[in-house]
Amino acid sequence: MWGMGLINGLRISWRNMRRGPITVKYPYEKLTLPERARWAVAPKYFADGSPKCTACMTCVRTCPDHILDIYVTTAEDKTKHIDSFFYEIGACMMCGLCVESCPFDAILMSHDYELAVTDPADLSYDLLTDVDAATGARHKAEKAAAEPAPDTSTAGEVSVGE
Amino acid sequence: MTDHCDDTLGVGLLCEGQHEPGTPPAGLRRAPSGVDGLTTEHLIINMGPQHPSTHGVLRMIIEVDGEEVVAAEVSVGYLHRGIEKLAEHRRYDAVGTLMDRGDYVSGIMGELAFALATEQLMEIEVPRKAHWLRSLTSELNRLASHLVWYGTFGLDTGAMGQFLYAMREREALLDILEAISGQRMMFNYVRPGGVVADLPVGVEEKIRAFLGTFPMYLDEYDQLLGGNEIFQARVKGIGVIDRDMALAFGLTGANLRASGVDFDIRKARPYAAYPELDFDVPLGAKGDAWDRYTVRMGEMAQSARMIGQLIDGMPEGEHTAKVPRIIRPAAGESYASVESSRGETAVHLVSDGTEHPYRMHYRGPSLYAVQALEELLPGHLLGDVVMLIGSTDVMLGEIDR
Amino acid sequence: MSAIGISALKVLAALGLMLANGVVMIYMLRKVLGHLHIRLGPMHVGWKGTLQTVMDVLKLLTKEDITPRAVDRWLFRIAPAVVFIPSLMAYAALPFSDTWRVTNLDTGLLYTFAVLSLVPMGILMAGWASNNKWSLLGGMRAAAQQIAYEVPLLLSVLPIVMLVGSMNLGVIVEAQRGTVLAVIPRWFIMNPLFWPTFLLYSVSALIETNQTPFDMSEAESEIVAGFATEYSAMKFGLLFLSEFSNQFIVAALTVTLFFGGWTLPWIPEAVSNSFGPVVFMLKTYLVIAVMMWIRGTFPRVRIDQLMQLGWQRLIPISLVWIVFSGIVIKVWS
Repeated sequence: MWGMGLINGLRISWRNMRRGPITVKYPYEKLTLPERARWAVAPKYFADGSPKCTACMTCVRTCPDHILDIYVTTAEDKTKHIDSFFYEIGACMMCGLCVESCPFDAILMSHDYELAVTDPADLSYDLLTDVDAATGARHKAEKAAAEPAPDTSTAGEVSVGE
Repeated sequence: MTDHCDDTLGVGLLCEGQHEPGTPPAGLRRAPSGVDGLTTEHLIINMGPQHPSTHGVLRMIIEVDGEEVVAAEVSVGYLHRGIEKLAEHRRYDAVGTLMDRGDYVSGIMGELAFALATEQLMEIEVPRKAHWLRSLTSELNRLASHLVWYGTFGLDTGAMGQFLYAMREREALLDILEAISGQRMMFNYVRPGGVVADLPVGVEEKIRAFLGTFPMYLDEYDQLLGGNEIFQARVKGIGVIDRDMALAFGLTGANLRASGVDFDIRKARPYAAYPELDFDVPLGAKGDAWDRYTVRMGEMAQSARMIGQLIDGMPEGEHTAKVPRIIRPAAGESYASVESSRGETAVHLVSDGTEHPYRMHYRGPSLYAVQALEELLPGHLLGDVVMLIGSTDVMLGEIDR
Repeated sequence: MSAIGISALKVLAALGLMLANGVVMIYMLRKVLGHLHIRLGPMHVGWKGTLQTVMDVLKLLTKEDITPRAVDRWLFRIAPAVVFIPSLMAYAALPFSDTWRVTNLDTGLLYTFAVLSLVPMGILMAGWASNNKWSLLGGMRAAAQQIAYEVPLLLSVLPIVMLVGSMNLGVIVEAQRGTVLAVIPRWFIMNPLFWPTFLLYSVSALIETNQTPFDMSEAESEIVAGFATEYSAMKFGLLFLSEFSNQFIVAALTVTLFFGGWTLPWIPEAVSNSFGPVVFMLKTYLVIAVMMWIRGTFPRVRIDQLMQLGWQRLIPISLVWIVFSGIVIKVWS
């Protein structure tokens, strides 16, 4: 009979109403992000608090939008000092290519997604300011000291050739 | 200062010095018609870039006689971002981020088209598991895209409830895709050579949980909108694209299959894991908006079926081939097409051996559908305009690139 | 107190009721639609969002009233009044209980319909005066739709008038007192003769008040906001308020004509009379809730299909049913 579809539709919307609202009352309730979620780029540190970044500029070259920049002063003994590791988060598209390409695992895509600011000047900031860059030797030593146990990071890192 | 008044469309723009104050503007074309010499005029309406129902920033200039559309003109370009030009300055593993933003609700399939085109030039063997992961994420993405279509199609007619029910399902899908790739929409997951990462722990349960309830919900949604007599009366019989017209316009995807042409790239030119999957291709008969509706609902059911097969039969192995850090494919041309949710998304790639593509052309299937609208609209009523735009499922991101 | 004073108080009470109705109905709409759409609706302002509409009204009162330069000045200004005043006038004949009425009109039903028929004129004025092609379309649709459907609206309830013998809404309610077999109330909805009447009336009433599935004049997804696009601040508030007020009037008429008005049949008369207004309002709001349920579920009908529905189906069926019920009523009595 003409009209049964309409009545059925009313029944379906009633049934869906009974299933309850799916609203997550942000900011009082927040969802947990999965582990691979890519949000703002953040630097990683060794156990003693010194940054892992060696200022090799791989991420700077890899970034498709050229939003990363590292200002380095090289001392006479060839050690690098990072004056500022500049990050323009306002233009970042969180593609994660910088993190994938970093040979020293020195940056990560954090889960920080509450990135709204009120001042446009805050849309770019320094990830690291006025610190000594780590050296390759330091990384080798840390790797040797760490247990050569099963890799505890998530399955499937990008395996890029050399 | 030149008096720039570019009235290329001939709609009678009001420009300085060209309009007599006190007289009606030239934009009303006087079309004497009607009984007993009653003069009527056709209204030229601008369904502008900002409109609640054009699926993106689509501008249509419609000439109406009362409520009946007499002529229509489509004006695109409001979302042009220069994707093809930008691709010439990106490395090959970063072009995927651009393809994500073309058809932004089916990002995986855009990335896949580019990855396939690059692999043709690189001549590498993609591992079987990568094929299966690509198909899995493609089908998840196809479901998500069709849910957007379903929700907005009903919303264009005025029904509001089913939009949010579709979004509820889509949330589950986007959570799954976020767990796999890291982002809900701009995945950057499919790369030349394979995919970025294997499935994480826990995603398989999520997918199975989703598949447990989705077929029942899909049936319910079909009853809610498709079973609704008001919706049927609005959708049946309008926007008939017959077989010849569909082929002449170069339509692909559900728009073509609704007109009765059995052409699905997953069956005709299979790629990824599709040769090993078991699925049907729903076809329509008349090519009206109702057929396009039923074809897409059928495709959703088939996608759910395929996802079940993909999860059950997921092979072991590497998720990507060994590719160099900076990809430099051999010089040459290649063309790869995939069946995206809107039709044949294809990439024509010209490489000159360096790390940047020399030229990348991105074929977005909605462009042809939107051109077909110009011929479809005359004869329909103003209320049908949004129905036609919705039934052809155009996505401005891939039209304007 | 003089008769004029009492009348003035009654008018003010009706106005107050209209405004209170608007506030409650808007909140109810947002909550009902929200839950139908598996979301929550207003939650923050006040307890579970109850103060939301009050704040919205305050916002509308303090907004800048923008009048576009090219509008037809006088029409633009008075169109909201022409839409609002008939809505207020329609409260005059509604029987909230046997003593609570603004007036006791012998032609109450006809008066209400006649007054509601002034509303599409205001909508047409608003659409035309806005100097906006989309508003014009909305106004024209309203003119075609609402003016055309006044005929089926009145024709559909004639069988009830024939049975009761009067157009006085109070008398119609009194005719529905009591029960059959002490269980089934004597409401006209229970009378099989009036089932088609109820259907015809519901459809015509939904169309008259611009409710989905027949809200073409403000079809948001097609013509943006239809006739009300160019209006801002309190002018928009008046248009908006009168739409909800019309919905209330039509629901109140449904309750009066079919669901027994203020009477509750299973309770002794003296008790139920004192509760009259409360019962009336509850029943009306139940009907409004059903209208909102329909609003949240169904798509919109196309304008030509709507006109076809009216002229080709509703009017012939109403006429046939009038003849048929006339015969049945004569034979039965």
